[in-house]
Amino acid sequence: MRAARVIITGRTEKWALAAATKLTGFATSVIACKCEAAIEQQLGPDETPDARPGVSVLFFAMDSDGLAKRLTERIGQTVLTCPTASCFDGLPGAVDRLNAGRALRVFGDRLQISKVVDGLRYWRVPVMEGECLLQESFGLHKKGVAGGNFLILAESDESALSAAEAAVQAIDGTPGVILPFPGGVVRSGSKVGARGYKGMIASTNDAYCPTVRPLTETALPDDVNAVLEIVLDGLSAEAISGAMRAGIDAACRPGVRAISAGNYGGKLGPYHFHLRAVMA
Amino acid sequence: MSDAVVLTLRAPLDQRADVEGLTPDRCASLTDRQIAELPITVGGRQAAVGDLFDVRGGSAARLEFEGDLSRVDGLGAGMISGELVVHGDAGDNVGLTMAGGIVRIQGNAGHRLGGPTPGASRGMTGGEILVDGNAGDDAAARVRRGLVVIGGSTGASAGRAMIAGTLVVFGNVGDHPAEGNKRGSLIAAGDIRVPASYRYACTYEPPFVRLLMTHLLRRHGLAIDPRVRDGHYKRYCGDAGGPGKGEILVLD
Repeated sequence: MRAARVIITGRTEKWALAAATKLTGFATSVIACKCEAAIEQQLGPDETPDARPGVSVLFFAMDSDGLAKRLTERIGQTVLTCPTASCFDGLPGAVDRLNAGRALRVFGDRLQISKVVDGLRYWRVPVMEGECLLQESFGLHKKGVAGGNFLILAESDESALSAAEAAVQAIDGTPGVILPFPGGVVRSGSKVGARGYKGMIASTNDAYCPTVRPLTETALPDDVNAVLEIVLDGLSAEAISGAMRAGIDAACRPGVRAISAGNYGGKLGPYHFHLRAVMA
Repeated sequence: MSDAVVLTLRAPLDQRADVEGLTPDRCASLTDRQIAELPITVGGRQAAVGDLFDVRGGSAARLEFEGDLSRVDGLGAGMISGELVVHGDAGDNVGLTMAGGIVRIQGNAGHRLGGPTPGASRGMTGGEILVDGNAGDDAAARVRRGLVVIGGSTGASAGRAMIAGTLVVFGNVGDHPAEGNKRGSLIAAGDIRVPASYRYACTYEPPFVRLLMTHLLRRHGLAIDPRVRDGHYKRYCGDAGGPGKGEILVLD
């Protein structure tokens, strides 16, 4: 997976978050959203290029061109539009670059201004509020890892949810890792393809669906009544396994019967996170 | 290989010297002895670096000058990378046509800071020049790209005919600033008389100034007044005699 890190700053934390929340909206899975994105960390003024409160966001997509397009579309509609927000590259060391900000300069209709600071080019685009400041290029990380996951098998839906919330809390803010799904949690885990319909890319992971236990080849122990999945994307396999370990540790609480993972026959991507190895 | 090449002026100069071409990028691959043999001019006559300076260290992309260099011209002229530091005053033509790297003058600088060679259309095309003290006339004239920062005040015609790039003046800006400016930015934190050929646009907080000041604070350790970083600026567009895409930003 190709990955990028975008830093959004605003006059206040509220406006940085407002832009970042929209920027990462509807970006849960590459299957239908074309990219996966979420907030990685909140940053203090000491950690951002313009000394304002900020948010770092990670983006993942299947290919570099696609990632550049998604960044251009999303930054153009959510950062350019958001009061006081500015947008910077969060992977300054990356050699490969995505010129996502460059495409947005033309919004300035030839009234935009280019500036180079410390060897990096920025665009000042005139907007009704004043100026929107966008960095021209974003570092491309070619070895992003998407789809790290584990399943929480619990006695009840309440205990599954509270274990998932504990796992998300433990993982949240880990550098280099995001949880792209709502609240960091997935209830509709999928299997590859479908038995009943041709042409489906994915369909419900019925082996883990408690309501159809007698109708399918179930993977659920007898006393499991709800399963939730935590899906992680990261800049490296190490970052993901560290976050998985923290998440699984936090999820192991009363009411949880087992922790498992969707392994898709080992065929979904080159990275495999073996839970026993992760926890060792 | 040392951390820096240090050139110490042996005795005060009674005539002007020119060290154009004695740049960090050039010294990066030379020993102290080779550096001492590099040509310079003293009083219009050819001489060697070693005639004026004691040379310590070699093979480093950081060049430091010690002593009173107010009569030494052309420091950092033609530089393309590395870092050049002058612990004190510098003469004229500092960073003339430089294309990259960083020049730091810890005292005052003379005329034509970052400017073009005589008759040339372009001054500096990249890099950063920081002067802690004042600068003479024609600072940042015809700059094409790059950053010139002056901690003190400037003489006349600062930013004359700037093509692009940025000039920051923390003190007062002399007469006729940024005349003939095409797309350059003059950021003035002190007093300035904006020429009549500039038109007032608005008063706002330029996000770019904030980024630039944060860079100067973090990268170069400049003591930036929070008012300069966070404050409102009056934006003037000009120079109306040309394309008019340049600007003067005046701290409100």
